[in-house]
Amino acid sequence: MPPAIAIEELTKDYAVGFWRKRPYRALDRLSISIETGEIFGFLGPNGAGKTTTLKLLMQLIFPTSGRAEILGQPVGHVATRQRIGYLAENPYYYDYLTAEELLGYFAQLFGYDAADRRKRIARLLDEVGIGGERRLQLRKFSKGMVQRVGIAQALINDPDVVFLDEPMSGLDPLGRREVRNLILRLRDQGRTVFFSSHILADAESLCSRIAVVAGGRLAAAGRVSDILAFEIRGWELIVTGVTREALALVAPGARRTSEISPGHFTIELATEPPPERVLADLIAAGGSLVSLHPIRDTLEDFFVKRVAAAGSAREMPSARD
Amino acid sequence: MTARTHQGPPAAPLAAIAGIVLCVAGAVSLQITRDRLYAGQSRETARILYVQSGEAVKRLALDFDALWADVYWIRAIQHYGGERLNDVARRNYELLFPLVDLTTTLDPYFSIAYRFGAIFLSEPPPGGPGRPDQAIALLRKGVAAQPGKWQYLHDIAFVYYWHFRDFDTAAMWFQRASELPNAPNWLKPLAASVLGAGSDRASARFLWNQILQSEEEWLRRNAARALSQLDAVDAVDALQAIVNRFPPPAGGQYSWEALVRRRVLRGIPVDPVGTPFELDPATGRVALSRNSSLSPLPQHLQTPPS
Amino acid sequence: MRAISCIALSVFRESVRDRVPYNLVIFAILLIASSFFLGQLTAGQDVKIIKDLGLAATAVFGLFIAIFIGIGLVSKEVERRSIYGLLAKPISRPQLILGKYAGLVLTLAVNVTVMTIALYAVLAYMTWTTAPALQTAWDAPGIDARLLKSVFLIFVELMLITALALFFSTFSTPLLSAALTLGLYIVGHFNADLRNFEKVVESKTAAWLARGLYHLLPDLSAFDVKTQVVHGLEVPAGYLALTAGYGVLYIALLLIVSILIFSRRDFK
Repeated sequence: MPPAIAIEELTKDYAVGFWRKRPYRALDRLSISIETGEIFGFLGPNGAGKTTTLKLLMQLIFPTSGRAEILGQPVGHVATRQRIGYLAENPYYYDYLTAEELLGYFAQLFGYDAADRRKRIARLLDEVGIGGERRLQLRKFSKGMVQRVGIAQALINDPDVVFLDEPMSGLDPLGRREVRNLILRLRDQGRTVFFSSHILADAESLCSRIAVVAGGRLAAAGRVSDILAFEIRGWELIVTGVTREALALVAPGARRTSEISPGHFTIELATEPPPERVLADLIAAGGSLVSLHPIRDTLEDFFVKRVAAAGSAREMPSARD
Repeated sequence: MTARTHQGPPAAPLAAIAGIVLCVAGAVSLQITRDRLYAGQSRETARILYVQSGEAVKRLALDFDALWADVYWIRAIQHYGGERLNDVARRNYELLFPLVDLTTTLDPYFSIAYRFGAIFLSEPPPGGPGRPDQAIALLRKGVAAQPGKWQYLHDIAFVYYWHFRDFDTAAMWFQRASELPNAPNWLKPLAASVLGAGSDRASARFLWNQILQSEEEWLRRNAARALSQLDAVDAVDALQAIVNRFPPPAGGQYSWEALVRRRVLRGIPVDPVGTPFELDPATGRVALSRNSSLSPLPQHLQTPPS
Repeated sequence: MRAISCIALSVFRESVRDRVPYNLVIFAILLIASSFFLGQLTAGQDVKIIKDLGLAATAVFGLFIAIFIGIGLVSKEVERRSIYGLLAKPISRPQLILGKYAGLVLTLAVNVTVMTIALYAVLAYMTWTTAPALQTAWDAPGIDARLLKSVFLIFVELMLITALALFFSTFSTPLLSAALTLGLYIVGHFNADLRNFEKVVESKTAAWLARGLYHLLPDLSAFDVKTQVVHGLEVPAGYLALTAGYGVLYIALLLIVSILIFSRRDFK
């Protein structure tokens, strides 16, 4: 079965400058593929190219080179849009329409008859938590409420693939939890969800796979657990029955030593030498093991490190040509 | 992945380009057809469309009086020129005065409109509407707007001289023109000679020669034509004298060929534009050919049949 | 087709919510008020003036609507970024352009129809209240079907202006679009004078240039037959057909180019 979304060497250059146009590479040869039924997190700091990628997928902008396909068809294939939904970043809809009218307008574009439209609109507005306000004009809505309407309009056609650009933005913690649950429900219904975010906590709790972009380039892609697996930073060892001097002797390279209670120490060890050896020496010195844990990067640490590395290499794409 | 199709911005499909070309060609040809079939407005429509009361137009023109004056000026010339292109029988210059009147109401300093208007309004048919009275009215309006402009007074005098044959009034206006500052110094003697000699062709020649110096192309053309007409009339007189001196033998007919054979003339005499003069075989009367572009001569230059 | 009509109705709905119908009310009031004031004038003048006023107001109000809504048809969506949500739906970019155009044309059609009905209503009232003897002084009857010829050409002209405004809207800011459309409207009405340029100027190049411009710029002066119908002069059916045909082709040209421009744009 072909991937739900297939992106291959997708590149977007913008010409900036007034007189001598210099190319600014907003996206540099992005290649990822998203399988059906996945929740895929597209992460990166602001300006990394997340929104550019989404706009390229919606063919709001055209690629400089490379290609992408959704559900086996090239992006821009109009009939495919019958099966996808899209929520833009900080969306704006027609503020003279009510929430119901907006959804009705879009539902008409999908070709549903009046009765069908009514059912869908009612169901979706309930699902995103818009109650009596649905009869008010959008100009009266708060940012969070517009965001909910945006999610509703992305789902009006029961899409197979849903694209969400910063779906949590503008929502309070309660709202974010609701959206998170909604995304999980979508996955349970067999839909594919592709969402971009700069909030890593959401990715950690939702995504099966992620991609990290920074400076227009792909910094990493894969399962969350795989990405973090290689990144053991060190070990946390808790022992009792030893003295500080003994510790200093056995583990001179320890990064941090703190005494929890007399004789009870927490030591942070580097990855080398292997902790087993330090433990053996401490036991030989009379200590006993309480616990030994690997210290991993959080997604945050990973993110910051990768972004910093990518950012310093962003300049002058033309130098490579 | 499916076949490698270009995913950049769509190239302009051939159909669109063809569509554009067809639309342009079609629109232009419809335009040309319509212009041809319904050639120009009917006179009535033109009068209603183009010509309204000067004051009304002045008010509607907002601050663009001078621009509107230009528009009406273009229409005036177009109207005059367009009529000249018609067959003689169909010429009708009735919009000329209203159009130049409007032009000068909108822009009282539009001197070319006064002068052009005066000259061509006075032209007798078929060259013009033959309305020297309108010409005078127009020029007087110019004088009211710019009393110091000697050209207007000069033109008034000329209309009286050439079209009304009212030499006293003409001389009076030449005199008044000569008294204005910046007036050229040939106006005073001109006034005198007009007063004295009246139908003197020399004064007329002098006047037309002055106009020949004008910067305006069409004024120069008009003056050149008038001078050619005077030359033609002089030539007619001279030829008539020759013809009278060498009548054909008794019972014979007058002809140019006979005179050429008799070595009286070197060749068939032609007028300044190259058209041969007419010689009546029976009466021996020399005249300007009707086919000549200088014809018809102004009233006062035509010699009465003897 | 469905997409086009959907968007068209949306444009129409927006114009209603934007209080465009108020201008109809103003028009009606203007017309009715004038007819009462003009009752003082000599018979024969008032009918002509009502017709002049009615037709001119239909053209002018229509022009304002065509320009002020037309310039924002595309640029407003792009500027406010509501275009993102719209283009993600199963509609193509050409359909969007055509739908927007159809919507504004629909708005104008409703507008012009209402104004024409109001005009005829006032004329009917005047005809009814004026003695038949006085009516013989009129150039043309009060309720004159020939007025519809002028209304027809006014409507085609408005469709052309709308297409112009839409064309500029696909790539230019609203302010610039308004200026350019209005500028072309004014120049277009002097187009007939351009045709006569060659009789006025000496240089062949200038004359050739003028003729080129005459064909290139929209020939709007030809759509103005108000004077003729008000005075009861003949406007042949052939003239109507050729002028309307010219208008339709010019509109088609503008729409094709608008679609080409819009289809290639990046919406950053």
